[in-house]
Amino acid sequence: MPAHSPPTQVVIYATTRLRREAWRTLLSGQPGITVAGEAADAARVGALLRPGSPGSVLIDDAGPLPEIARQLKAALPEAGLLFLVPVYDVAGIVELLRAGASGCLSLEDSIADVARAAVAVGRGEIVLPPPVATRTLAALARGDSTAPAGVSGTGLVEPLSERETDVLRLLAQGLTNKDIAQTLMLSVRTVEAHLRSVYGKLAVRSRTEAALWAVRHGYGPRAE
Amino acid sequence: MATLASPAATQTHVAVLGTLAEFHHEPIPYDLPALVRLVGELRPDLLCLDMTPQQWADRDFGDLPPEYRDALLPLAHQTDIVVVPVAGNSPPPEPTASGWRGGVIAVLRRLLAYLQRTAAGPTALNDGPRHHVADFLYSVIAWLAGPDTVRAWKTYTGELVTQVREVARRDPGRRILVVVNLRHCHHIRPALRRYPEIEVVSHADL
Repeated sequence: MPAHSPPTQVVIYATTRLRREAWRTLLSGQPGITVAGEAADAARVGALLRPGSPGSVLIDDAGPLPEIARQLKAALPEAGLLFLVPVYDVAGIVELLRAGASGCLSLEDSIADVARAAVAVGRGEIVLPPPVATRTLAALARGDSTAPAGVSGTGLVEPLSERETDVLRLLAQGLTNKDIAQTLMLSVRTVEAHLRSVYGKLAVRSRTEAALWAVRHGYGPRAE
Repeated sequence: MATLASPAATQTHVAVLGTLAEFHHEPIPYDLPALVRLVGELRPDLLCLDMTPQQWADRDFGDLPPEYRDALLPLAHQTDIVVVPVAGNSPPPEPTASGWRGGVIAVLRRLLAYLQRTAAGPTALNDGPRHHVADFLYSVIAWLAGPDTVRAWKTYTGELVTQVREVARRDPGRRILVVVNLRHCHHIRPALRRYPEIEVVSHADL
């Protein structure tokens, strides 16, 4: 029998009831996720996510989003935070990511995209809108003064293989594991294994650090 | 540090699921949600489909059968299932013939449509006598159409096998589901069994 990943628990965060109910209806039945609950304040979200399983919070709110991100990140450091934003503004997205967001989509995206993104952020991935992904990562890299431990200059603990380089280049474009896997026509599990190897060779601890390392070292496409 | 399994150390499981794709264009009730449920539960790592890389690159799904366009591709989009197009070139045209041979082909196609219409679901076409009867009917249809047609379909099936093997070589140890027209199943399975790195299993055992 196949060893499926457990479904991602998704909590809907919105201050208006109609939005919460609409998202619950839209997301129920989407593959790979279960709607764990709805909340209108950060304190309640934590009680809805079951520990030990991947979890994400979908935030559809008009409030000050960076502040919401900070509150949710403090309450739920392990959960992925997916924000719905009215427009793709690089500065705004960078501010959100620095406040603890895992990614964002707009209301122009499809429900399938939202469901996929909720799964991805629940696994610790970053989800960036393709039109601004490169610029967002470049802006993040410019403002990020923290060099990953163990790495100086372009130094690698160990050289990357050709396939690992491919994976890193796609990571630097802001692609999710599924998108990287589909681009290279490899399974998601293989991409995850390559990424774990890449993290070790770069001496970084997270996907974000690896993506920023890649952008700083010229692995990503040039920002427009 | 995580390491990737070497091809020699890991066998790749491959299941081949047959459908009567061409009949999905006809007004025959076919439970596409059942196919989605089946493949969704199998959750293969890689889903090999009979479409060309160009069709995939262009997202040109208009000519694809509904089971791909309306069922499997949307499912793959929303899950971790990675789509791999394995068709080499454009498929040969459906077998045709003139005279009495053409008449017999039409009757046999009606029989195939009957098999599709009366199938309880996608598994019904892959288990038991229905599977073998459909394969037999396709073989007879190709024979009636002449040796060129038989050769063209054999070549096409051979291209599918080559591509599936390449997928298994590139990503060893993963679970691969091949969903193709039923006419290919009985040729793809034995062809893949020749390769020690591949274990052909039934879809239920994937």
